[in-house]
Amino acid sequence: MNPAQILAGRRILLVEDDFIIADDFAATFVAAGAEVVGPAATPGKALELIERTERLDGAVLDINLQGDLVYAVVDALQARGVPVIFASGYDRAAIPERYADIPFCEKPVDPARCAKHLFG
Amino acid sequence: MPNDDPADVLLRQQKVLADFGSVALQSEDLDAVLHEACRLVGEALGTERAKVLEIETGAQSLLVRAGVGWAPDVVGRVRLPMDEHSSETYAIKAGEPVITQDIRTETRFGLPAFLTDAGVVALVNVPIFLPGQRAYGLLQVDDTVPRDFDQHDIEFLRTYAMILGPVIDRLHKVAALRDSEERFRLTVETATDYAILITDNEDRITDWLPGAEAVFGWSAPEAIGQPGAILFTPEDRKAGQPEWETETARREGHAPNVRWHLRQDGARVFIEGSVWPLHDGQGAPRGFLKIGQDVTERREADERLRTLMQNIPQLIWRARDGGDWTWASPQWLDFTGQSQEQSLGQGWLDVVHPDDRARAREAWSEARERGSLDLEYRVRRASDGAWLWHQTRAHPMLDSGAGHVEWLGTTNEVHVLKELQERQAVMVNELQHRTRNLIGVVSSIATQTMAHTGPTDAFREEFHHRLAALSRVQGLLSRAEQEPITLRALLRLELDAMGAITGDRVRLDGPTVHIRPTMVQILALVLHELATNARKYGALSDGGGRLGVDWQVRQENGGRWLLIDWREEDVLPPAEDATTTQHGGGYGRRLIERALPFTFDARTTYLVEPTEIHCTIDLPLDRAGQDGRPAG
Repeated sequence: MNPAQILAGRRILLVEDDFIIADDFAATFVAAGAEVVGPAATPGKALELIERTERLDGAVLDINLQGDLVYAVVDALQARGVPVIFASGYDRAAIPERYADIPFCEKPVDPARCAKHLFG
Repeated sequence: MPNDDPADVLLRQQKVLADFGSVALQSEDLDAVLHEACRLVGEALGTERAKVLEIETGAQSLLVRAGVGWAPDVVGRVRLPMDEHSSETYAIKAGEPVITQDIRTETRFGLPAFLTDAGVVALVNVPIFLPGQRAYGLLQVDDTVPRDFDQHDIEFLRTYAMILGPVIDRLHKVAALRDSEERFRLTVETATDYAILITDNEDRITDWLPGAEAVFGWSAPEAIGQPGAILFTPEDRKAGQPEWETETARREGHAPNVRWHLRQDGARVFIEGSVWPLHDGQGAPRGFLKIGQDVTERREADERLRTLMQNIPQLIWRARDGGDWTWASPQWLDFTGQSQEQSLGQGWLDVVHPDDRARAREAWSEARERGSLDLEYRVRRASDGAWLWHQTRAHPMLDSGAGHVEWLGTTNEVHVLKELQERQAVMVNELQHRTRNLIGVVSSIATQTMAHTGPTDAFREEFHHRLAALSRVQGLLSRAEQEPITLRALLRLELDAMGAITGDRVRLDGPTVHIRPTMVQILALVLHELATNARKYGALSDGGGRLGVDWQVRQENGGRWLLIDWREEDVLPPAEDATTTQHGGGYGRRLIERALPFTFDARTTYLVEPTEIHCTIDLPLDRAGQDGRPAG
């Protein structure tokens, strides 16, 4: 399956503090037929969006949001059973053990790989 | 001479005895006395030859100890075996004089070669006994012609030998005494490590031996007559130490004398010694004997070592196998607040962090096999209860005394180092994050630029300029730790890159404002877009115009807000193809109107009018409330 088929109709939360990357990312997902929620630049905004959005099919999360870590958002999403992947410039080794099982895409992120991890 | 008048002979023989007696009393030299004895007896018997044979240790041989009338290699050299068939041995055993009148007719005994060589034909052997019937040897008188030693001769020789015995014995005793006196003198006088002196009842120095001079510097004439207290330091004198020592010695039988003493030159020497009371023959006190050793060097070495052990910043300890401590340095006790007793055995584990104890025990259980101990654990600091990381290292030493292995170890604080390592790890992570993000940004810029320009020369130019701006700002960011980035610096960076020099056409006005690193990159890109636009179409273009950038900081809702006001005036109105403006401004506008509000909750305006371009950026400088971590 190509990413377009996988992503079509999916509602995906984007959490990324860098506008340029977030914008580009969002455009790619939209182009693949997905519906983008966000992007959110801070954990607070992301939690707000989760609260407001009834259905979420997946989430792509940056880890370091201008110094704040995204793990509270992961907890909220996992509590709702939403599949999550990390897209980060962080080294994998820097991730706490309890989040070690979450799929990890290093930046720069390839949206097709993200899609595979989330729904493949 | 043998045919002299018997009365003359007797007289001569009595004179010989008297002469010998006086020699024997005056001399203390055994060899000289025996030589004189031989000379006198030879003379008395008119033989000119005599000798003394001494039984040597083990009674296996006789040494020619003294003699007259013999070749030079005889006296002191020739030894005769004490054999059953010799007249010498026979005489000693019999305890009686034995006479051989003529060796040619002698059938009982053989004659030693050196005697026949010397032409001896007649001889008499008289045994010499020391007091207590201890055989000493023989007096032997020889003649080169056959001779009948008469009864007078024999009696004379017997008397002579009887006098010789006690004389020899006395001289032996004198020699032995002299030996022991010599030994004593040598012992005392050459022992310059030991200061030995004697004082009288008033503690005045009466005897000052060479060791005392070597240690204290005073010569005997200088020291004798002085009070013993001259060797005491002024402090000790003041404290009554001299009196305490003599009184204690008198009362207890001796007193320790272990303290710093004063030398003649004022230097101090540390003496380990003692004071002993002396008594005269009737048991009355007559003074004090003081003996001491100069241990200054050893003591100074000890003190240096102690100073080193107690002042180096490491915590030191000794232990047995398995980590049973036997000693802890004062530094350990100070740091942990433990007492020496508390630290011993496994007690030191009480101040090791509970999470680290199992590891410490394990390291000790493997230490013997590894031959070393090397691990890190946290130790509790008594002053504030903080657990600080320490590195512990130890090596085993074979204790020469007990034969078991002893460990000497150091425990060294490495907390700061450890923290630095952790911080460095965070920094490396941060750097990686920043770099990868940057690549992401570059890649996105390429995509978006291409969306506007298509793969054209215009793309190359715009993309190149944006990357250059990104690169410039990385330079600032890499120095941000040492050199905080200001808004003015960011503006100068971008305007300089455009070739726009502040002056008539460009005015920058505002306070010093530090921009936090996470905000720098996007703000630099925004300013780059504004400056590029101004260079192409606005106040910095060839068409003319003025650029003014004003900024100010204010407090709002507990945080600082920065308001930047970018205003281009008197700009040449755009040409017909104003779409280019839209192209160039399109990316900048997106950054200003969407990226800044998205990332920082900034409020922005961007207004392009025919002769004026006006942009305001109002953004929070602090990250109040965003940072989930507790302050500090």
